[in-house]
Amino acid sequence: MTTEPIRVEGDFPVYFRYTVGVAGEKFFREIMENGRLMASRCSSCNLNYLPPRIYCERCMSRLEEYVPVENEGTVEAFTITHQDAEGNPLQEPVGVALVRFPGAYGGLVHRTIDVLAIGDRVRAVFKDKKERTGSILDIKFFEKIS
Amino acid sequence: MQGSKTEASLLRSVAIVGVGITELKSSTPQVSYKELIFEAAQKAYEDAGLNPRKDIESFVCSSEDFLEGTSIFDEYVPDQLGAVLKPVCTISADGMYSLAAAYMQILTGLFDVVAVEAHSKASDIVNLSTVYDMALDPVYTRPLGLNASFVAGLEMSKFLHSRGAGTNHCRMVVAKNRKNALSNSLAMYGGIVEAKGESQNPVLSYPLTEYDVAPVADGAAVVVLASEDAAEHLRDDPVWVKGLGWASDSPTLETRDWLDATYVRLASKQAYQSAKLRNPAKDIQIAEIDDTYSYKELQHLEALGLIGDAKAHTLLEQGAFERDGVLPVNPSGGSIGMGHTLEMSGLVRVVELVLQLRGEADRHQIKGVETGIAQCWRGIPTTSGAVVILSNR
Repeated sequence: MTTEPIRVEGDFPVYFRYTVGVAGEKFFREIMENGRLMASRCSSCNLNYLPPRIYCERCMSRLEEYVPVENEGTVEAFTITHQDAEGNPLQEPVGVALVRFPGAYGGLVHRTIDVLAIGDRVRAVFKDKKERTGSILDIKFFEKIS
Repeated sequence: MQGSKTEASLLRSVAIVGVGITELKSSTPQVSYKELIFEAAQKAYEDAGLNPRKDIESFVCSSEDFLEGTSIFDEYVPDQLGAVLKPVCTISADGMYSLAAAYMQILTGLFDVVAVEAHSKASDIVNLSTVYDMALDPVYTRPLGLNASFVAGLEMSKFLHSRGAGTNHCRMVVAKNRKNALSNSLAMYGGIVEAKGESQNPVLSYPLTEYDVAPVADGAAVVVLASEDAAEHLRDDPVWVKGLGWASDSPTLETRDWLDATYVRLASKQAYQSAKLRNPAKDIQIAEIDDTYSYKELQHLEALGLIGDAKAHTLLEQGAFERDGVLPVNPSGGSIGMGHTLEMSGLVRVVELVLQLRGEADRHQIKGVETGIAQCWRGIPTTSGAVVILSNR
């Protein structure tokens, strides 16, 4: 008889289909069709939310106006991550940047292909139009503008 | 609205009359989470001199289903806690939030004695990284397939860059807390580690290394709160809850404050107001705060407003946060030295502060402390935290 403590194996297999919502539809369809970033505008607070949402977190107004945002921005924070989502070591570490865009409140977090520094200028690179599916992965990565 | 707000202190005073905590361990294969909670509960009720089946009127617990591996986990707490056939509820947040809820239950006059529970069975979780991955936004962030530690890596790089601090300061935090933990019999990860020199530790998300992360531990804690009348009847050294606060910053990665721990700034302001502390920096003599990541201790310290406009890393260099410094910070060892106990982490800070204020913090006792602060953060990817001010006067 083993004296190892008894442990019962188990898991938590639950699957989802996440609804992206009104503002998410606007954001992802604009990328799919026009390769363009779109923010929602709160005129009372003078904020353009990126990614867009249908409410302003400051004044709780409903937002119905959308404004395009140029796809070149500035690195606000940068890291190089060495593990995958499950915690396994990555063969090739991945650069990740939080990027701010002119005139937009918020920004985007995505992979980078360059080692970047705070303040660097980058551009969002989109997949080819036929490969876009309505996902944040329709943006391939940020690349440095030299 | 402002005008109708009643000062909490005018309603009733509330004290902590009992604490119970298990030793924190990297793994507890011999006992179940229920048995851990039972041990902490027994200790707390004995400490308070109470019969839980007779004297405790309500129970508030903290848990998060994904950390338990059981959905609707709140149904699994009453029996080991003495809460069967009594009011009990669960809050999906750090244990300090449950303490706040219990405090308010007593303030209303509905109950006189309420118990708070939080625990960690981290060693039962085979792939904890996945829990944090599942906490990322499923539309805008999770599809990137990144380890959730990237959130801390981004914030750490931004924080160090803006403050002119280095990873050496982060290593000093780790060295301090692990050394402090050597004198704490509850702590798992006490040790003497080299603060200087380039880190040889595996990088998680640059500049964050494994060394900067509080390693997880198992354990359970129970805290018993009582109204003024009940408290004075129960013991002659109750520890008073002077003030409480909690707050959340803008939650999304894109719109949150990446420089300051705004949630702590707001929560501590609320706590200082309710405690009527005019000069918190002078009144507060000890701090038990969140150090889930080394840099977080520095960021949280600045947000607590206890060091004026000074930069935390500069004071750290001067030894200000050592046990014999002007403001001892995490004399217990913090989560880095004791072990990170998931939703229990904030309640561990509270228990440690209570022991200090009762003069019972054995070899890590700070002499003569009367008022202290405890603070929690719910971890990545959240911008939520709470603050509690306790005093033995």
